[in-house]
Amino acid sequence: MKREILSKLIEISRNPYPYLKEWKKEKGKKILGSTLADVPEEIIYASGAHPFLILGTTKPLRLATTRLPDNACSLSRSNLELVLTYEGELFDGYVLPQVCDTTQHLCDIWKRKFSDRYFENFLVPRQVNRPSAGYWYIQESERLIWSLERYLGIKIKEDALWEAIDIYNENRRLLRSLYDIKRKHPGMLTNREFFDIVKSGFFMDKKEHNMLLKELIDSIDIEKDKKEDDYVPIVVAGIVVEPNEIFDFMDNGKINVVSDDLCTGSRYIEVETKKEGTPIEAIADAYLKKGPFSPIHDEGNKMFYNLKNRVEKYGAKGIIYVHIKYCESQDYDFPDLRRNLKAQGIKVLEVETEYQTTHMGQTKTRIQAFVEALSEEARNE
Amino acid sequence: MSEEKQEKKMTAKELSKKLTIEYLESARHARENGKFIGYTTAVSPVELFVAHDIIPIYPENHSVAAITKRLTTKLSQAMEKEGYTTHLCAYARSDLGYRITGESAMGGIPDPDFILACNAQCFTLTKWFEVLSRKYNIPVFVFDTPQWIRDEETRKRIIKYCVMQLKEQIKAQEEVTGKKFDYDRLAEVMEYSRDASHLYRQFLDLAAYKPSPISIFDALIHMAITVYLRGTPQAVHYYRYLIDEIMEEKVKKGKGAIENERFRLYWENLPVWFKFRNHFNLLAQYGGNILTSLYVHAWSYDFDTSKDPLLTLAENYVSVFSNVTLEERADMALDLFKRYDLNGSIMFLNRSCKAVSFSVHELRDMLTEKTGIPALVFESDMGDPRFYAEAQVKNRIQAYFETLEAREEAKELA
Ligand code: SF4
Ligand code: SF4
Repeated sequence: MKREILSKLIEISRNPYPYLKEWKKEKGKKILGSTLADVPEEIIYASGAHPFLILGTTKPLRLATTRLPDNACSLSRSNLELVLTYEGELFDGYVLPQVCDTTQHLCDIWKRKFSDRYFENFLVPRQVNRPSAGYWYIQESERLIWSLERYLGIKIKEDALWEAIDIYNENRRLLRSLYDIKRKHPGMLTNREFFDIVKSGFFMDKKEHNMLLKELIDSIDIEKDKKEDDYVPIVVAGIVVEPNEIFDFMDNGKINVVSDDLCTGSRYIEVETKKEGTPIEAIADAYLKKGPFSPIHDEGNKMFYNLKNRVEKYGAKGIIYVHIKYCESQDYDFPDLRRNLKAQGIKVLEVETEYQTTHMGQTKTRIQAFVEALSEEARNE
Repeated sequence: MSEEKQEKKMTAKELSKKLTIEYLESARHARENGKFIGYTTAVSPVELFVAHDIIPIYPENHSVAAITKRLTTKLSQAMEKEGYTTHLCAYARSDLGYRITGESAMGGIPDPDFILACNAQCFTLTKWFEVLSRKYNIPVFVFDTPQWIRDEETRKRIIKYCVMQLKEQIKAQEEVTGKKFDYDRLAEVMEYSRDASHLYRQFLDLAAYKPSPISIFDALIHMAITVYLRGTPQAVHYYRYLIDEIMEEKVKKGKGAIENERFRLYWENLPVWFKFRNHFNLLAQYGGNILTSLYVHAWSYDFDTSKDPLLTLAENYVSVFSNVTLEERADMALDLFKRYDLNGSIMFLNRSCKAVSFSVHELRDMLTEKTGIPALVFESDMGDPRFYAEAQVKNRIQAYFETLEAREEAKELA
């Protein structure tokens, strides 16, 4: 396996800013930041601007605390902080989705703070089970197209949209095949490495990401690269896993993340946009078929069934649920989810995370204890 | 004695109580009378329920009753034991606690046949109702109202999306009730709703008098009827009755809600329900009266019955203050400052209600910039005394009035 490609992707995932500054200089493209989830990136890509998914910062909070109350979720606070204090310079503008109360307010605050830049919100349908949801996603996609066209002074052609869809489909296909390899040979690619690779794709040029992914996958020689070991298969649930040292703790505990329902994982990479109808219809259709996402209303037990199926399909021994501190949406989901999973005999560990946490020791110990208990159980079976 | 005469002796408050009891009774006997129970959010197109033999039940109102009876801490603790956190909205905490313990300040509420969540108000309710949906094994119908951003073309599209959803809602209701939806009945309901909402607004606007014959605490007590009896003739009658009473008792006599009114205050957010009286008295000591808030105005709809009812429903519900942009919300507040001639502002950062609280800092900046009136921001919880620091709030209010006094004196000197 070409370790140098791996290192490059990991480096970008951990600190994408130097890479992007260089890249921007070279390509002369506009960089548009968005936050989780469901902004149709393909549209931004097709406009010639560069979509960048803002995933918070673990650096200290300075200004966000004066704009958002303490009980705003850790993700929103650290996202705001990132642009207010640390990396705001990089962005020419923003396209922010509204998925919950927090993001709705965040849009208002953000827009006022950056009144000198391009700003558009993306009003995601917050229900997905009725025909109106598809209609609305298409309407919003059209609005985004017009808005970008006005801002950039260009026309976004249908061909460009199909091309973007191809590139994104390819990206997701590559990530899926890498996931397969990692799943089967956990010693070969750690959890942290795999999810860092996924993450790097949210920041960098997709075409380049595809190239590197392809080269990486082609360079894998299973017989040579694989390392035999005993790993405990686990499903990870939640929205994001941050700080991503949490994956290190899983690696240390010899956990193999065999599946997940994360916005920065399977919920993203399992999507395959069908090339049917108009490009926007195709994107909307893919959106409606995505896996459940906590703030978007879906049939009441969908998240539970989704996780249960993943556990069964991949023979996982348990679930680690990563709970973003003060994410209200997750606050409402989790108790029922845990109870329902427990009733199926599925073990669940809840890990609460905060971007600015300075002591991860407890999380580490709890993950360790969880995996030990699962291994113990497996031995006794 | 004729019924009319009996009623004449009643105060509006008593009438409200009577209507409430009758309403709850009808809900409790809904099924015997071929009616259904629909849970819904306080801001929602409930007219579709009323026209379809679905009696609306508002878990939020039920929770307000629990809060004012000080049951919330206990109910919340019951829910915390099941793994829920204390940072949820106190309404949701009271309700989820009620589902576990059965303890209620009003003898309980019937279980739902239909659940509607309109997210113009907040997103919390959808998640909270999802929990109920799993408990009762019935779906939640989400009426999704995208933020009412200021762009004419987008607004047209938003309305189209909303009307589409109202049609979907009617279909879903038909499935549950097994009854065809009757648009003629809806037209009738809309007229009652229109009239009650106008009268409700007229009642709130009494605050423009000097001194103001009402305080926000009156508004909070009397808004209950428009929340749960919107769309009925009773609500229309009630607000007429209420306005007449205030005109007779107060306005004609030149009496204010407090004596020696000096400060006419704006309140941002919901009230601290369990500190109601206490706040009223505390402020009155300084000659301060809170007259209004955007929150109480959330029900002063303006239904245009010359339009397709679904259209006017969509237009009214999507544009409620909690679903507009911050700029527009500031404009709505400024309009109240102007119309009621306000000279002070207390902004409650309510840890229960993210939906109304999260841009409070920004909003304060915008309002003080435009009005020059200083604002007090204080943080607490609307429903759980565990998060209310009595002494601190008192001190801050005191300090705030000192600022206002100094400001008035400076003005007089100038
Ligand atoms: S869904 Fe949760 S994590 Fe995401 S912005 Fe809303 S509150 Fe924060
Ligand atoms: S208080 Fe706020 S969060 Fe709670 S139900 Fe009402 S609007 Fe929603």
